Amino acid sequence: MAEKPIEGEKRVFMTGNEVVAWAALAAKAEIMYGYPITPQNEIMHYWTRTAPRFGREFLQTEDELSAGFTTAGGVMAGRKAFTATAGPGNTLMQEPMSMAEAMRLPVVVVVQQRGGPSTATVIYSQQEVTMTTMGGNGEGLRIVYSTATHQELFDYTIKAFNTAWKYRFPTFVLGDGYQAKMRESLTIYDPEARGIELIPAEPYLGRPGVPGVDRPPAQYRNTYNVEEELYEVLQGYFQDYEKMAPEVAEYEAFDTADADLVVVSHGVVSRAAKGAVKELRAAGYKVGYFRPITLRPLPVKELRELGNRTKQFLVAESANGQLARLLKEAAYGCPVEMLPMFKPGVGITTEEVVARVKEILG
Amino acid sequence: MEVSDNISSRIVEAYIGEYASGKSEVAVNRALQLARQGRRVNLVDLDIVEPCYTLRPIKKRLLDLGVDVLAWETRETMGLGEAGNILRPGNRWALRRSGDVILDIGYGVEGARTLHLLEGADKDPDLKVLAVINIARPLTGSVSDIVDYVRGLGRVDGLVNNSHLGDETTVEIIQEGAAVVAEAARRLGLPVVATAALAELAREIGPVDAAGNPVRPITRFMPQTFW
Repeated sequence: MAEKPIEGEKRVFMTGNEVVAWAALAAKAEIMYGYPITPQNEIMHYWTRTAPRFGREFLQTEDELSAGFTTAGGVMAGRKAFTATAGPGNTLMQEPMSMAEAMRLPVVVVVQQRGGPSTATVIYSQQEVTMTTMGGNGEGLRIVYSTATHQELFDYTIKAFNTAWKYRFPTFVLGDGYQAKMRESLTIYDPEARGIELIPAEPYLGRPGVPGVDRPPAQYRNTYNVEEELYEVLQGYFQDYEKMAPEVAEYEAFDTADADLVVVSHGVVSRAAKGAVKELRAAGYKVGYFRPITLRPLPVKELRELGNRTKQFLVAESANGQLARLLKEAAYGCPVEMLPMFKPGVGITTEEVVARVKEILG
Repeated sequence: MEVSDNISSRIVEAYIGEYASGKSEVAVNRALQLARQGRRVNLVDLDIVEPCYTLRPIKKRLLDLGVDVLAWETRETMGLGEAGNILRPGNRWALRRSGDVILDIGYGVEGARTLHLLEGADKDPDLKVLAVINIARPLTGSVSDIVDYVRGLGRVDGLVNNSHLGDETTVEIIQEGAAVVAEAARRLGLPVVATAALAELAREIGPVDAAGNPVRPITRFMPQTFW
């Protein structure tokens, strides 16, 4: 059996789904649970082809409810466990993820967004932002990374396992059908050879010692008898999340200092936005680029600073305002005007962003 | 008038291989190469693993360039990808068409099995099943990986070296691929029928690569398709 999936570093040419499978191997994920759905299938295909070579495991379940709950179970048993899904599968996944939020289980979920509502298209969208960030019932707390390139899919899938196990919140990597199927080159690497420490998993249940004597009892609950009990537990969760948020929130920005208009986007659409802002700057337009990498928690401080000094945000997304809704909450009270560029379930090109900005700025 | 065998004989090639190895790109460019020689060419989308995405968006352009494309039209299909797929009836009989036949097959073992659905595939005297290999893909990155992979595919009559890194492709990666694929082919007892290289890199390499395989210049069409 091969020792390490990736020795050192290697420049490779891959689809995004394969990248996720290799990243999970590199992050020392031990088991994937899953149920097939396009466009994430090749994450499972490549995991099942490669994982046995390195002593890792896979369980195909009967649906996404089960895939989510078994992932939670794997984590409780102390395994680095993950799953991947899309679209209506993501809908079903929300119930087990809500339990993971209640029990603070570091499950990792990769979502490759497809068109919705319901089965819609198998191809692409950014329409799963609301559900992936806020899909749990109650006051569910989670972390969501939105990637834009294959390199980021690799980097952030590895990071997701570390963030999840460090802070003990369910962590999502939000991709999309284009990223899933697109082919591009990237560097795959052994994270430890780069000095990235991989936080080890540890069991929630079955630890040594007598509960209540040698250690606190392992009591992981998603059910409470009275309101006060729930209230107290949630207050603790909120404090933990608030403390964690500035450590975890990430963004990418340039040319915002003197910008009258900032194009705000996330995920694969930010590639078009980046190209457009560079082109517009070269043509003398005072435009900037801002992209939240974490959609939850958002980089609220930076967004508010920007919203206080910029006249307009152009919010470009392949959804009907799901990113815009998050931004509006974060920038509430800031004088910035938010202009929509919404194309639900459809890609957005550099040319389209350039044309829209020129239309606005004249 | 002298008529060479090359012109009179029918060329029938099926391109199979690893996911994202470049099967469609190699098939499209092969069809265009033959069309430019004045040959009648049928390019057949036999990908029922991920149907319709590959050739569908560039079908019209290929027709304009003189290649007959046998592929579904979007309006003729529904639920692409996961509602079950119907083999386009005309494609089943592709080997009965006059002219050359270039088959673009779905990926992996399941893709290779699609050939069984093709009428006359088992008896066609001209059919060559060619496995497309890119060594920048980790599962076909070494000689032993390629040998294992190709052995698992079923019938294979030759290999195509299509080693590249997308926009970052260099002559070095193509030549490294040539050496690795040639050694894998030797162990498999198969010929390397060509090395595919972007036209500008193909000019640098010359008519044959470092392992002596013929170089086939290609133009990238697939970035214009979805999947």
